[in-house]
Order: sequence, then structure tokens, then C-alpha cells
Amino acid sequence: MAQTLLKWVGTSSRLFGSFKPALHTHGLQVQVPFQRQIKAFTLSDRGGGGAGGYSGRDFLALSDEQLMGQCEMDTFKASGPGGQHRNKRESAVRLKHVPTGIVAQAVEDRSQHKNRASALARLRTLLALKVRNKLNLDEYRPPLELLQILPAKSTMRTSDCGPQIGPNNPKFVLGMQALLDLIFAVDGSISDAAKYLGLSTGALSRLILSDDSLRMAVNELRSSKGMRPLT
Amino acid sequence: MICRGFVVLEREMNSSFPRAIRSTISPSSLVFKRPKPPFFAALSRSISVSSMPTSPNPQIPLFLRPPKFSSTLSDLQKWQEWAKSIALSVGSKFVDIDNGPDTILLCRELKWLLEDAVEDKSTVPELGSAKNGRLVRLKADIEELYVLWKQRIEERRPFQYIVGCEHWRDLILSVQEGVLIPRPETELIVDLVGEVVLENKGLGDGIWADLGTGSGAIAIGIGRILGSGGKVIATDLSPVAASVAAYNVERYELQDKVEIRQGSWFEPLDDVKGALVGLVSNPPYIPSHLILGLQAEVGKHEPRLALDGGENGMDDLLHLCKGAALMLKPGGFFAFETNGEKQCEFLADFLTNKLETSFHNVKVVYDFAGIQRFVTGFHN
Ligand SMILES: C[S@@+](CC[C@H](N)C(=O)[O-])C[C@H]1O[C@@H](n2cnc3c(N)ncnc32)[C@H](O)[C@@H]1O
Repeated sequence: MAQTLLKWVGTSSRLFGSFKPALHTHGLQVQVPFQRQIKAFTLSDRGGGGAGGYSGRDFLALSDEQLMGQCEMDTFKASGPGGQHRNKRESAVRLKHVPTGIVAQAVEDRSQHKNRASALARLRTLLALKVRNKLNLDEYRPPLELLQILPAKSTMRTSDCGPQIGPNNPKFVLGMQALLDLIFAVDGSISDAAKYLGLSTGALSRLILSDDSLRMAVNELRSSKGMRPLT
Repeated sequence: MICRGFVVLEREMNSSFPRAIRSTISPSSLVFKRPKPPFFAALSRSISVSSMPTSPNPQIPLFLRPPKFSSTLSDLQKWQEWAKSIALSVGSKFVDIDNGPDTILLCRELKWLLEDAVEDKSTVPELGSAKNGRLVRLKADIEELYVLWKQRIEERRPFQYIVGCEHWRDLILSVQEGVLIPRPETELIVDLVGEVVLENKGLGDGIWADLGTGSGAIAIGIGRILGSGGKVIATDLSPVAASVAAYNVERYELQDKVEIRQGSWFEPLDDVKGALVGLVSNPPYIPSHLILGLQAEVGKHEPRLALDGGENGMDDLLHLCKGAALMLKPGGFFAFETNGEKQCEFLADFLTNKLETSFHNVKVVYDFAGIQRFVTGFHN
């Protein structure tokens, strides 16, 4: 995680979601920090279990700046004049991803900058967990980002996949999203999913159990289908 | 709160940076229960003096000090429990008095203090289950930790002065008494500069000035985004601020990019008159009559020189606005932090209408809390 954060922190610009419209008073231009760059994502079918009609892969492929541009950010509401008047570390950050309505927040870091970065990393995980992409299983081939999180023994893996990416690597969320897409497409059957990935059922189960949020997402799906949870 | 006196603990640590820890003792200290031995040992070794020695060398933040001390896990846990119980006993008292910190914030600070004080952060979670006499290496004597946390609660000494640093943007800046603790709002100035530098590469390779640099926060933030030809001159009237800023600049290895000069506003900048591509400042902007009512951490501990902006808070801002036209090159950018809507509107109007044709594209920019906080613009 730390790596993406630093990268993002280092190239900060256009990071701020605006939460007030531009105003014109006294003939002066009053501006919010930066304009948001919301792209053409439909907002109409929000709330349908988080899935909606848009592609979660598109969101995760965005740069931090672009993703931030789709978010509204609040810190604590102004409870006074702020600035030089205050020493209270009001550095908590709450990000609302407008196209999906997903909210991520971070309070525990010591600078607002880092809280913003943590909230954004958390948002990526939530997007991976909650936004599903439809798959066509007849022509299914696991995408590279999914192959990269699989153990070396997967028969689908080729040498250009590189070493296995673990849950601490920021790229893991991309693979996790693709894996969840597949598991949803096969209605939660680990053995079916394992076949598409060239793995044994046991090996895929171990991978799922290696990450808490992944395990919980899979088990939530399985319990909704009346299947036993993985343990 | 009568019979206050300063206590200086003799310290054997940091031989290269002799320093003293200030502590005031008040009768209310007796209210809090604490394990006796370490704390009283600390007191009995102390001597009384009446003022803070001026330190020629800036203090080293706690987290950067060598781990010369040690304590058993269980003694550290005892300290933590004691500190937590004091924090809990505060409840909403400080919030009610002057909108100061609440228990939640104090507990968070306690965790950060612990993180800075131990050599190995991973021991912090172990504390809860510590029943053993294993030794933990510490960057401050456990006795000092007792004193520091007492100062935090009883004197409302700012947490950042206790640990000697503030996390600001992606930086960790050294701060100490005499230097303003940089505020989260001010982080935005660096982003505003980043924005204009992206749009106009020429600005990234010129000379910038950060006036009233304090800890050097803005200057360092800008120094890190300028191009290879870019440079920042950071000034401050306060010698303590100038030395702390220099220390921070060195820690980020920016000596070639950020130059510290001591002096009042534009005075040390004679040689770059009309040559600046950018001018930024977060000058003192609090109206004098509001200083008394500030939360104790600010009003009683941060330097008045850094806060008090005169009768309506705009003495320094107006001085900077008037001087900006002389200092900036044509096309040069400025950004000033203000007290809020009133000052922003006044200054934006002043810069647009009262100074004739000096500036264009004058804007007011909101901070994260939705308050109009900055005035920015360009020299014609
Ligand atoms: C609000 S603080 C800002 C410090 C730092 N730039 C920051 O944002 O954290 C204002 C600073 O202006 C400095 N200052 C006050 N009067 C000054 C003067 N006449 N000339 C230069 N600096 C001055 C103070 O010492 C203080 O460091």
C-alpha cells in the first residue's frame, strides 16, 4: 500500500474534490480549489447492490488523481475559524465516490495528506469488492492482473506473469476484483472457479483465505446462495 | 494555577544537542493518580529556573533521537494506562473551556507519542498483553514520558511540541516552542503552487519566496515540486523559526533549493526585487482581540509573533499585498493564507480594484473545511 500512496503524494495536483459550486460575488471569481473531472459515468442506476451498470475495472484503472477527481471529499465540517486558530488535528478524511456512492474514510494518520492517501487506497479495495463486472464464461481467459495474484502452480500462468503478487502489493486489488468477478460468474463455486484458473480447489481456497476482505466477500456471496463458508 | 515555576530536568541524552525540557508544576498535578517512583524521581532531580534557555541549536524531534533508554514492557504499559486514565478524566472539559481537544483526540495523541518514543513500533500493540519483564528500547526515559504527558494535559502543551514534530503533507517537520505548528489548511498552498507550475513550466524554474516561513513547511513543500532551475527563499523575523526551518531544509536535503534568510518580510529580499516568479505567505492574521480567547494549546504556547495580525488581523497581509507588485516579475504568481471569508473578500477587492492594474485573475480559494481561506492571483 505504502508504495502507491507515496507515488500519489509525490505528484499531487488536482487532488481535491470540490464540495461547493463556484460562486460569483462582488464581481470577483470565487473558486473552489480545483474542478472535478467527472467523466461520463451514469449515475442513474446507483444503489442496485453496488453493482450498477458501470465497469469496476474502469475505476481501478484510473490514476489516483483521476479517481480522486470522481470523489467528493469532506473533512470535519468547519467548527470555527480553523487555520491559525486551531490545534486539533482535524485531519480525518471522508471520500465519497460519486459514480458508485461508495464511501471510504481514514482518521488514524497524523497528516491530512496521508489520511487522504489511505482513504483513497481503501476506496480502491472497496471498489474491487463491491463493483462487479459481467463475464462471458464461454470465452473466459483470466486477465493478466488475475494471473499475477495466482500461485506459481497455476497451469494458466506463463512466465511473463512474474512472481505472485500478495495482498500487501497495491496491484493485488486489481487481481482480487477479477477473481471476484469470476467467482460471482460461477455463483460462488470454488471448484468451478478453480478450473478456469488452472488451480486445485484447495489452492484457490488458500488464496481466498489469505486476504480478509476477499474471504469475507466470497463468504458473503456463498451464504447468500446457501453454501457453506470457506474457513 | 498559582505558584507556577519552571522546572528544568537535567538530561544526559543528546549530548550533541544540549536541551532542556520545560515543565510547570501546579497544585492540580496532585489530582491525577500515578505510579509514584519514576515520576517523583524525576522531580527530585530537577532544579528551578525562571525562563527557557534560548537554544542555539534546534531540538531534535523525539522520533529521531537515538534509543538510549529502556524500560520493561510492563513498566511502559503502566505508563500507558496512567496516561490513558488522565486523558479519559479530561472528558469534554477542554472542549467546554475553549474548544480544545477531547478524550478521543488525546488518546490518539497518546498512541502517536508511544509510536515516536519506542525504538520498534511493532511493540506498541503488544503492550495490551504485556505481562512480562522484556525490555523495550526507548528514545526518551520513561520518567520523561511521565513529565511530557503531564505537560500535555495540565499545561495544554501542544502535542507537537511534546514530540517535537508535526506530520504535514508527506513531510515530518521538526517544531519547537517559538515556532508555529504548521496547520493542515496550509497544506493546500503547496498544491496551488503545484497547479500553476504544471500549467506554466517557466514558474517552476524561477525564484520563489515564502515569507514568514516558520518551520519551513511551505518552502520545503514548494522546493520539492520545482524544476531543476527553481529555488525558494524563505524568510522569518524569528531566529528560532529561522534555525528550525534550516534544520528541516537540511533533513530533506534541500539546501540547494531552499535558502533561509532572517529578517522582516521583504527586507531580506532586496537582491531579488522584481525578479520573483512566485510569492507565498501564511502571515499572522488573527485579530489582536481574539488572541486571548484562543484554545490554550495555541494562545498559551505558540508564538504571538506568528499569530497576531494587528487590530483587524490584516496588518501583515496588507503589507504583503502592497509589496507583492514590486517583488514579482510580470506574470508572477502569489498565494496568501487568510483568516477566512472577510479577509479574503477584502483583500481580493483591494488587489483587484485598489491597486489599479497590478494584478489579474485574483481568486479566493476554499480550504478543505469549506472556508474561504486563500487569495491567489498573478502580476500583470
Ligand atoms: C502563521 S506563521 C506561519 C508559519 C509557516 N509559514 C506555516 O505556515 O506554518 C507566521 C510566521 O510569520 C513570521 N513573522 C511574523 N512577523 C514577521 C515579520 N515582520 N517578518 C517576517 N516574518 C514574520 C512568524 O515568526 C511566523 O513564523
